[in-house]
Amino acid sequence: MTVFHFFNCAILTFGPHAVYYSATPLSEYDTLGTSIKAAVVYLATALVKLICLATFLKVSESDSFDPYQEFLKALIGFIDVAGLYFALTQLTHRNISQNHKFQAVGLGWAFADSVLHRLAPLWVGARGLEFTWEYILQGLEANANLVLSISLAGLGSLMWLRKNKPKTLIPIIYLCAGIVATMPSITSYLRRGLGWHLPKVVGFELFTSLVMAFISWQLFAACQRPSA
Amino acid sequence: MATVSKKPRNREILFDSVIALVFILVACVDLCDGATVVDVYRLIQYDISGVPFGSRLASINHHAASLHFAPSADLSRTVLLIPLRELNMSFVQEYIGGSKPLGGLIFLLPQIFSFKNKGGASSNHDDGSKEPLKNVLDKLEQILIHTNLPYPVYFAFEDDNIDTVLLDIKKNDASGQPATATTGGYKFVVSATEPKKVGSPPITNIQGWLPGLKTDGDSHQLPTIAIVASYDTFGAAPALSVGSDSNGSGIVALLEVARLFSLLYSNPKTRGQYNLLFGLTSGGPYNYNGTRKWLQSFDQRLRESIDYAICLDSIGSWENDLWIHVSKPPENAFIKQILEDFSSVAEDLGFQVNLKHKKINISNPRVAWEHEQFSRLRVTAATLSELSTAPELLQSTGGLVDGRQFVNEAAIVRSVKLIAESLAKHIYGHQGKNVQIFADNSNLAVNPSYIRSWLDVLSRTPRVAPFLSKDDPFITALKKELEDHTDEVNLQREVLDGMFTFYDSTTAQLNIYQVASVTFDLLLLLVLGSYLIVLFSFLVITTRGLDDLISLFRRPPSRKMKTA
Repeated sequence: MTVFHFFNCAILTFGPHAVYYSATPLSEYDTLGTSIKAAVVYLATALVKLICLATFLKVSESDSFDPYQEFLKALIGFIDVAGLYFALTQLTHRNISQNHKFQAVGLGWAFADSVLHRLAPLWVGARGLEFTWEYILQGLEANANLVLSISLAGLGSLMWLRKNKPKTLIPIIYLCAGIVATMPSITSYLRRGLGWHLPKVVGFELFTSLVMAFISWQLFAACQRPSA
Repeated sequence: MATVSKKPRNREILFDSVIALVFILVACVDLCDGATVVDVYRLIQYDISGVPFGSRLASINHHAASLHFAPSADLSRTVLLIPLRELNMSFVQEYIGGSKPLGGLIFLLPQIFSFKNKGGASSNHDDGSKEPLKNVLDKLEQILIHTNLPYPVYFAFEDDNIDTVLLDIKKNDASGQPATATTGGYKFVVSATEPKKVGSPPITNIQGWLPGLKTDGDSHQLPTIAIVASYDTFGAAPALSVGSDSNGSGIVALLEVARLFSLLYSNPKTRGQYNLLFGLTSGGPYNYNGTRKWLQSFDQRLRESIDYAICLDSIGSWENDLWIHVSKPPENAFIKQILEDFSSVAEDLGFQVNLKHKKINISNPRVAWEHEQFSRLRVTAATLSELSTAPELLQSTGGLVDGRQFVNEAAIVRSVKLIAESLAKHIYGHQGKNVQIFADNSNLAVNPSYIRSWLDVLSRTPRVAPFLSKDDPFITALKKELEDHTDEVNLQREVLDGMFTFYDSTTAQLNIYQVASVTFDLLLLLVLGSYLIVLFSFLVITTRGLDDLISLFRRPPSRKMKTA
């Protein structure tokens, strides 16, 4: 049953990505190439972030919340946004509608993130005899991350790819994008500074990801109306 | 056509081999460390003339239960975790005596029985509970070493981790569900190699020789007095058998007597006209096998020159009475002399020494006291002990209950005084006179801190002979100590022969895993499957419309009609 547990957690962590790809029209338009390119860009971004973290951050002994360190980490987190910008605008995609482009990029981004951050702990930990809830919670976190990545990609495409936007909505778009981009810092603050336990943090992530997805969806629909 | 079909086939083969590789990799489940790891000590496994005794298996991989298991439960694949405080003899007799099938047994002993526990008194247990626990453990030990148990049996000490695990297990058992593969619970894993026979169990006898004063023109060999103690132990858990009283007290007394006489003999004016032979023998629990080998290695003249030998056995926890056990009849001149010397000194010191005579039966291989080995080779000998009756085979050999806290240093100090003064009386011929050579506050006084430090060291060293290699640092330490006090030290290395065969694997680590049941995993799979299906349907409906979802499940009927 330990391999069984690993299998279950793997399905929870990586299943939604596959389901998303096959359920939406992404599979019809064969946007797999776009997703793979986005995944590669994520890898490069992660490497750059690692180098910056290693250079600028001090190793702290205690597990407390240090505002200065967290601020630095948030700044470095914006490299993520830069990577996403690169993936959305600079890579040459085939003729895919903007609607599908951001979804494919977001999907590739989230998949690479899950594989990089969650596959190794899952492989090493979930196959042992000892049972913990940790890997199931990690899978739920991966789901929340998927939704967040897609919303961030959508907001990003709104910001950089769409030329004519209603003036009133622009600040809201930037605000939402800002919130989604700083989600990692917010969760680490909750975990360390307020001392929330993992289930609570994961619940919070799921809730906010759904809320942000809904808001981005509305914004996207609102921006689509003038052109349609 | 051929090329088109080749490409998909190659792709398929590649795909299949990748999947096969993934399955093989995934199936290599390596057991990472459990949440709790505890040191456990195995019950001894040995044969007497081919008859097996003790625990015959070492590795455990079963679910755990406590004493509150359901009466009808099948325990053949369950490990029982039993704290000593809750053990009652009826359970022991029913399950161990009645040879019921069990997956394994783990006894949890209170910390006071651990020699690793620094400080004698443990804080939250009163002394009143020690005595009954000691008796229960003693009885349990005797039953365990004389029974053949075809499952692993281990001893562990109570600590916070395993106490919480035990509480959890009790809760689970109380709810009526035994822990099996389908109901979750705790799994105990001890990964130990299969126990192998110890090839040639080594016995090492250490002897120290302190020669007496030979006056010029004296052509006769000086008479010799021998003081002997056996230093090895035997118990239910060989890794825990420190034998503080049996025979740590004897060893310590021998070393202190050697120290005192070496002080006396260092000055030629006070050197007696007797040689002193100190012997630390091994193989004690096994009918004093080592002593016999040691005596057989003597040459004839030495053996004939021994006036008498005093063997020391358990002199650490007596109050008012000591016993001298002999096998030669009390009318024998030497025996009379010994008894007179010892009783007069004892009277001065305020206690009593009694004589006990037990005839030896040459045809019976059982040797109950060490002096019997001397007597079988016609050397006068006696054993000084606090025990009034001869112990049975493998009884009082320094097992689990024989710990430091049950030994009284003052008793050892008094015993040393008794032995030293009595020997001095004989050596210097002060019979009948009231002389105290080793008086307190003199430079020949018995040193209690020497006794205490050696007793502490011995109480932390398990000394079961088959597991003490011939180069063990403990044996080297004893040799060095005797070298300090005597002129000539010899080691005799032999192999334990006869009826005993031992098996190794005495300590291990117990990994405790909290496992989820198979039903939990199946349930989780069901939940995840339905979640993914719901997600799929949701996404299809929102992006492509409900019709597309329905069309996925309906085969296109129109095409068939067209071709037909």
